[in-house]
Amino acid sequence: MYAVELAGVTKTFGEVVAVDDLSLTVPAGSVFGFIGPNGSGKTTTIRMIVNIFYPDRGTIHVLGEPMNGHRTGLIGYLPEERGLYRKMAVRPLLEFFGELRGGRKVEKEVRYWLQRFDLAHCAERRVDTLSKGMSQRVQFIAAVIPEPKLLILDEPFTGLDPVSADALRDAILDLRRRGATVILSTHDMAVAETLCDQIFMIFRGRKVLDGTLAEIQAEYGNDTIRVTVEDGMAAAGDLPGVEKVRDLGQVLELRMSHGCDPHEVLRCLVTRSRVTSFSVIKPSLHDIFVRIAGPAAEEAADA
Amino acid sequence: MRKVLLMARRDYVESVKTKAFILGLIVAPLLFGGGFLGIAILKKKPDLRDKNIAILDHTGVAAEPIMRAAREKNGRELFDKTTGKQIAARYVFEAVANTADASLALSDRIRSRELFGFIEIWPAALEAPPDEPATEKERDKLPPRAGFYSNAGAIDETRAWLRDPVNRGLHAVLLSRLHLPDTELKALLATVPLEPLSLVARDPKTGRLQEAKKKDEVQEFAAPFGLVLLLTMIVMVGTAPMLSAVTEDKNQRIFEMLLGLATPFELMTARVLAALGRSLTSAIFYIAGALLVLQGMSMVGMVRFDLLPWFFLYLVAHVVMLCSFAAALGAACNSPQDAQNLAVVLVAPVMVPYFMLVPVMQSPNGGMATALSLIPPFTPPLMLLRQALPAGVPWWQPWAGIVGVILWTIGGIWVAARIFRIGILMQGQAPKLRELMRWAISG
Repeated sequence: MYAVELAGVTKTFGEVVAVDDLSLTVPAGSVFGFIGPNGSGKTTTIRMIVNIFYPDRGTIHVLGEPMNGHRTGLIGYLPEERGLYRKMAVRPLLEFFGELRGGRKVEKEVRYWLQRFDLAHCAERRVDTLSKGMSQRVQFIAAVIPEPKLLILDEPFTGLDPVSADALRDAILDLRRRGATVILSTHDMAVAETLCDQIFMIFRGRKVLDGTLAEIQAEYGNDTIRVTVEDGMAAAGDLPGVEKVRDLGQVLELRMSHGCDPHEVLRCLVTRSRVTSFSVIKPSLHDIFVRIAGPAAEEAADA
Repeated sequence: MRKVLLMARRDYVESVKTKAFILGLIVAPLLFGGGFLGIAILKKKPDLRDKNIAILDHTGVAAEPIMRAAREKNGRELFDKTTGKQIAARYVFEAVANTADASLALSDRIRSRELFGFIEIWPAALEAPPDEPATEKERDKLPPRAGFYSNAGAIDETRAWLRDPVNRGLHAVLLSRLHLPDTELKALLATVPLEPLSLVARDPKTGRLQEAKKKDEVQEFAAPFGLVLLLTMIVMVGTAPMLSAVTEDKNQRIFEMLLGLATPFELMTARVLAALGRSLTSAIFYIAGALLVLQGMSMVGMVRFDLLPWFFLYLVAHVVMLCSFAAALGAACNSPQDAQNLAVVLVAPVMVPYFMLVPVMQSPNGGMATALSLIPPFTPPLMLLRQALPAGVPWWQPWAGIVGVILWTIGGIWVAARIFRIGILMQGQAPKLRELMRWAISG
């Protein structure tokens, strides 16, 4: 059972093709990560799923049925561009959004979520008197009251302190445990790696990655070495079989070319400097993202 | 519909409790009726200072009769007949010697505020006037007959006041040459007033003839004009905040959250309904207030209760029409400055008919008045005005007008919804008119 199914979806704005023949399935009950560089078509895809934009071609099914204006109540949506009625108090504002989505009174749920996010004392305060982090938590609550079957969160962790971020992460996982499907759009690769069951990447309107983290990493194999050497970058120049070296500060990340032997790399490094740690790993999601959408990939795509 | 009503209720409640709405309720009548209030106050507090007028008479015989006629007029108009209080300025005359530089000397006295003005009478004033010249140029070539010199502005009531005694004085000189008895002379010089009367009718119940009544001209002007003023004011109070409110919500990124829950059309409809609620609230407030005031003044009889259903019909149509446009324009704006610049486009359908009220009142069933009142954006105020005037309108015209307004409004909402849908998520440079038209046509 899929929570969302896109088949051959295309959306253009004038001359610009924002989403190009995109097909995608989001398994029900999963946390599904949307990643991609700015302007790649993430937000356009999300807006089509929530029925803000209509696709020029292709079909969109949400929770088993074609998406239309009558089904928006099933979806909780936290857009990237946050906005609330600034002059309204928190409690009536949340009750308004909840009633709009659910078609019923939601006082109990509002009380529960305000307490859960430590905002009960702000219930009667106007939104424009809240801090940025508080408003963001209020906005998240507005997206989950009443509890949606599909929750779409566009950059939900931006601007949150670690405590609030943890509370939000716990809430997302709780919702998933209770059966909700969560689509999470993020630029934070660590969040995508740790929180998402499945990851989808869009680049220039087209799907370039789709699968679990393990499946994605398996496509690239164990081609990455993390090493700590006393002389740092000075010791890592012109290593045999190494395509690229990235300085992460305390650690160097080396990407090996196909067929390169890591033992040869280690042997060469030991002759140049004192090596204190050495490990062969799969590439991180961050690294995979940069390989697909970094400047080199952009140049290749433009050529 | 549930979502529309819920959003409309929120928008309505949030807007009517703002200071801007409450202040607007009070300020709007001052803004729209302030000019008339000023005129009324000025009429009640006239300038009672003496007005010194000199007469430079080249005929040698006209000055005295003119001054006599002016004194008589002064006597008739200077005091209120019931209270005995002075209600108008006294005109004080002096005849001056006819010297070479008399005109310049008198002009200097006006400049030094010693005189208010002076009248110059030339001999031609006592001669038979030539045939009416065909052109302005030919008229300029005629010898001068009488003139009034002053520093007053173009709209000078003194000149109008003096026209009667000057003519009476000159007529008296001419008639004196006929040696008529005083009684005949008085009858010849008397002015017969033309009383404004209503039409004679037959009582439908008793069949008796109902005599014509003397019309109250102020009341006949005030009632229709007041009704249109009320409509214009309520429409402005209800619709004016719409443009900036939509732009503000767009800037605060509220729409994307709402668009996840409702369609753009539902969103716009809710906004329009909230504005309609605001307008009806102010309508109830103003109408109740006006009725209370008129009751207190024992003038409630002048209210045309039969026009109230039309009033509300026009109000609803006008507000829906303008608010749809306001929502579309607001969605197309990216900043409060953009909204301010576009406000004039929105105000035009309200203010243009407002400036046409006087010509329409002068000839309510003329071709221009009829045509203007059948143009949908102008129909609500102008047709209502024509209906409120005693002459009335043919029965089919209000219905034709309202059908036009409804069709125009439906078309307007359709276009506005398409612009609104695209505009609310559009950021960056404000769209040009051509782009707005493209959105409206192709969606």
